[in-house]
Amino acid sequence: METHLHYEISQFLYKEAYLLDHRQYLDWLELLTEDIKYVMPLRVTVDNKTKSNFISEMSYFTDTKEDITMKVERLYTKSAWVDNPAPRQRHFISNVMIEPTIIADEYKVRSYFLFKRSRASEINTEELFGEREDIIRRENGEWKIAQRTVYPDQAVLTVMNISMFL
Amino acid sequence: MKAEELQQIKEKVEEGYLPQWVVTDPEIYKLEQERIFGTTWLFLGHESELNEPGSYITRMMADDPILLMKNKTGEIKAFLNSCTHRGTRLCTVDFGKKKTHTCPYHGWSYNLDGELIGIVAGNKVYGEKMDKSEWGLRPVPRVESYQGMIFGNLDHNAVSLEEYLGEMKWYFDIMLGRSDGGMEVRGLPQRWVAKANWKMTSENFAADPYHVQTTHRSAVEMKLTPTDPLYASFGHQVVLSNGHGINVITSATGKSANKYQGMPESMWPMFEKNLNNEQLGIFSRVTTFVGGVFPNLSFLSSCSGSEGTKHNHLQFRVWRPIGPDKVEIWVWYMIDKALPEDYKEKSYKGFLATFGAAGTFEQDDTENWARIIEASQGRMSRDRKLNYNNVANYLMGLDNLEPDENFPGPGTAYPSCYTDHIARSMHKYWLELIMEETRG
Ligand code: FES
Ligand SMILES: [Fe+2]
Repeated sequence: METHLHYEISQFLYKEAYLLDHRQYLDWLELLTEDIKYVMPLRVTVDNKTKSNFISEMSYFTDTKEDITMKVERLYTKSAWVDNPAPRQRHFISNVMIEPTIIADEYKVRSYFLFKRSRASEINTEELFGEREDIIRRENGEWKIAQRTVYPDQAVLTVMNISMFL
Repeated sequence: MKAEELQQIKEKVEEGYLPQWVVTDPEIYKLEQERIFGTTWLFLGHESELNEPGSYITRMMADDPILLMKNKTGEIKAFLNSCTHRGTRLCTVDFGKKKTHTCPYHGWSYNLDGELIGIVAGNKVYGEKMDKSEWGLRPVPRVESYQGMIFGNLDHNAVSLEEYLGEMKWYFDIMLGRSDGGMEVRGLPQRWVAKANWKMTSENFAADPYHVQTTHRSAVEMKLTPTDPLYASFGHQVVLSNGHGINVITSATGKSANKYQGMPESMWPMFEKNLNNEQLGIFSRVTTFVGGVFPNLSFLSSCSGSEGTKHNHLQFRVWRPIGPDKVEIWVWYMIDKALPEDYKEKSYKGFLATFGAAGTFEQDDTENWARIIEASQGRMSRDRKLNYNNVANYLMGLDNLEPDENFPGPGTAYPSCYTDHIARSMHKYWLELIMEETRG
């Protein structure tokens, strides 16, 4: 059962990455619960090794489903220049770890990500990497993402913008 | 750089053109480092970022790492963040609080006033003669603040910050001094790196509402902004001294649907107490303030949210040049301390949705800044013997726009924001500085 669960959830995350990388954003939206909390706090550098080096006061985004839907719809407009021509992107997802929560059918899932992007004929590629902490829930037999916190490893991001979903 | 090349740039700038190659030219960049970033007032941070004695933050002035500390008497001091022994970077974290900073290399330590207070095995290795007081951290030659905004200057002989800001102070008072308790920075600035030149990003905020209707067209498609292509033109573009400028954007009626940028009525008496009538007049009508302090500080005070429930936010940003074709973007989100918490929260959300690395407006800006770099580095955009004479056009409003004498604020106010008056004034000041021999 444990192995099977791990397989199922990992496959779900890979499928999610596939949809994003192939710009199937409308299908991707279907994977998110209506009450999703999707946030990306700022990584900062602090002196204390044991204290968190994320601040919650400032984030890159703190999105609800409505916010994410707006962003997706925008990418389908004619004039979202950042996506026109569309950059090529790849989400590498690994180190998937699953823990049950107190709620049946909800799991806390950690994964590592490496995001790479190639824009037009630009020879330098952009990258972003870090860790995600998700709450993944089974709703009517389908896996859904109910919460995602994206923890970047860089205090100064080396991407021109965060127009992608992570 | 040859004097005659600078002379050629000057001729173009006077006619309302900017040779395209100057955007990314490495020699120009070197001159800028020395004569612009070495002599003008550069933004370091806001006083609300340093709360108590011992609080510190680290910042950059172009390539110089800077350590700002609040000392025991509450004074803010700024130093080159470099140990005076072998030059090691002293503090590598973004912020914190401590009484002394100790260098990891050989253990020299400094107090909150930058004084060297401890040398490992002091007298035993240096003898009695070494005078610690000569080995304090190197202070930023000038540190001054206005309305809580801390600036540093590497030039001892620079005019005062207040004189440098000049007419901009009047507008800063509206944005920063309108409410009791002033503004506060939320958290830390967002930071990321874009392919862009600092002149072009500065110009984008200070001088270019014309780009709004096209660059941010997706917002029109999404029905978030008006369809009228002139919507960002209404109001005044105000040219200020020293290459600064501000756009006071209103609407076709000259008013805003959201008085005082959508701030709650409970705040209004405070504004009326802290601002004069002319300032109140402008503040009550403005939809957006967008502008810049030369060379690389920009600001935007706008409203986000749906009609009727607009929330104001103020952002400041620094375009730290890290090469002719790269900037590190720093964005501070600021809000009136006196606002109710739920307003602050909504305002913050509105900011994140529109600006900052993930903001939908910002994303499309970054694309255009990168495209300027991509097309400005080649032979054809240079004006050498090839005589391609490739110049970028800043002629808008050159001969058909007269200043509006009735505009109540300081500066030269043109009655439209679709004009290149600020851009041309920035270029003139830029050129004046890079043509000036280094001061002693
Ligand atoms: S370099 Fe700092 S103590 Fe030696
Ligand atoms: Fe813009």
